[in-house]
Amino acid sequence: MASALLLLVLALVGAPLFAAIAGSALLGFHSEKVDLQVVAIEIYRLAEMPVLLAIPLFTFAGYVLGESGAPARLVRLTDALLGWLRGGLAIVSLVACALFTAFTGASGVTIVALGALLYPALQQAHYRERFTLGLITTSGSLGLLFAPALPLILYGVVAQQMDLEQPVRIDDIFAAGLLPGLLMVSMLSGYSIWQSRGTRISGGPFSWREVAAAVREGAWEIPLPIVVLGGIYSGAFALSEAAAVTALYVLVVEVAIRREIPLRKLPGIMRESMVLVGAIMIILGVSLASTNYLIDTEVPVRLFEAIRAHIDSKLTFLVLLNLFLLALGMMLDIFSALVIVVPVILPIAIGYGIHPVHLGIIFLANMQIGYITPPVGMNLFIASYRFERPVLEVYRATVPFFVILLASVLIITYWPALSLTLVSAP
Amino acid sequence: MSDAESGKRLENAIGLLHRLEDGLLALVLGLMILLAPLQIFLRNFFDAGITWGDPLLRVLVLWVGMLGALAATRGRRQISIDALSHVVGERARSGFGAVTSLFTAVVCAVVAYHSARFVASEIEYQTSAFAGVPAWTCEIVIPVAFGLIALRYALYSMGDLRKVLAGRPVEER
Repeated sequence: MASALLLLVLALVGAPLFAAIAGSALLGFHSEKVDLQVVAIEIYRLAEMPVLLAIPLFTFAGYVLGESGAPARLVRLTDALLGWLRGGLAIVSLVACALFTAFTGASGVTIVALGALLYPALQQAHYRERFTLGLITTSGSLGLLFAPALPLILYGVVAQQMDLEQPVRIDDIFAAGLLPGLLMVSMLSGYSIWQSRGTRISGGPFSWREVAAAVREGAWEIPLPIVVLGGIYSGAFALSEAAAVTALYVLVVEVAIRREIPLRKLPGIMRESMVLVGAIMIILGVSLASTNYLIDTEVPVRLFEAIRAHIDSKLTFLVLLNLFLLALGMMLDIFSALVIVVPVILPIAIGYGIHPVHLGIIFLANMQIGYITPPVGMNLFIASYRFERPVLEVYRATVPFFVILLASVLIITYWPALSLTLVSAP
Repeated sequence: MSDAESGKRLENAIGLLHRLEDGLLALVLGLMILLAPLQIFLRNFFDAGITWGDPLLRVLVLWVGMLGALAATRGRRQISIDALSHVVGERARSGFGAVTSLFTAVVCAVVAYHSARFVASEIEYQTSAFAGVPAWTCEIVIPVAFGLIALRYALYSMGDLRKVLAGRPVEER
């Protein structure tokens, strides 16, 4: 107990999370008198999960797209299709960011790649400064409920390690994220339309010619979401296959055909993208060991019994879960939170009769809010740095968006059917 | 050999190590990007993949992960809870940095030691991973990566400690 507390304090004062988790696994196995070689054996399991292949491949593809001219083409196309609506450019921002984040995995790339284009455009269109700032900061993590976003995959990977009676398939998680993700986009779009009431903020008239031009310009990238999302949602591709095709296709298009990324920049992009992958994988690797120890010692079961003694209704549990996850989101980034916390709360949630796939969506939707929750929400800092605004101003600007996302999270939590309708065998 | 000379040599060696890591990382990722679609192509059009292709790809995932983690360590970019750095002064930050880095170095050294024992036993029993490839050649990346990560955090810890003692602010790397 004392050692667990010490590890927690070390993590809170800035020790890398993987080290704190590895430390807890080492101490745990040591106290059970298990040979510590087991930690190496657990880490080696990273080489035994075929689905993990998708993580480096999608991340690399996302970084390449972010460095290319694809974000500008995406914005132009969305603008041609939706820009004529009232509040059109704001909706364009939401939709383009959501699509882009689905492919780049909510790593902060979206604000950097798309925000730089959309922010000045929104200002030029006379959206209020504060609205613009809040919109872009919020959009940066929108879309992580859409396949093939990294957090969805990671939730599936973690849940699959747990030997549940009801196996969690990644296809099911993808299907489950679709409607909740659309709910978030539509609620934020509704707010944007309402914000533009009484002003004359709308783009030019709809033009088929501009749509045709935007389609021609984006002809190489447009098949990508259609093939990948269509393939994954229809079940035609396995996830790692979709990732393999995407990585190679993006590489060929942006480097060899469009030549927007010079070959000499490629090693740098590879390294940058793999820094993120490595930082996640090492946490995942050591967590396989600590989770194994947790399950061996039946910690989740005992925790469930302890909680059960005080809370007997599913509803109360869900309220507490929401509060807990919001607090968690303020402290931890989505990837570490997934790997560290899901193994503990998933068995408890199942005990309360919550579907494991639904729990995943609740978890990720809550964590998405964490990106814009003070004091440590990552998007707040990226936006503050990128648009040269004080962090406090960014906090204030995101408040209305925070409230809307919170409302959507509550709907997602208390209306399981929204997540589970599209799941093949709920 | 003078101090300056040996310092220079050390710097060259470190630079070489960094280039080696980056090169290996790009090589492993590049191989993965080519091999993964090739497997799909062969499976769908010729109804036969390379038999060792899939296990190799899975091992490459481990390698990319470990080498990526090593690269993340180089810029001190491992994922951590960054709650304190906005609150405390720079000298205190160096103090916390010295302690947490030392802790990380010790943990990684222990993991490196026990994974080296694991690899040694795999060499002894001549375990095979796939297609006759000895298992230890796939696993060796674990002790090597954790060993280097331990070394780097030990150096960070000493650097932070020196800053605390000198009362100078911590520099961002």
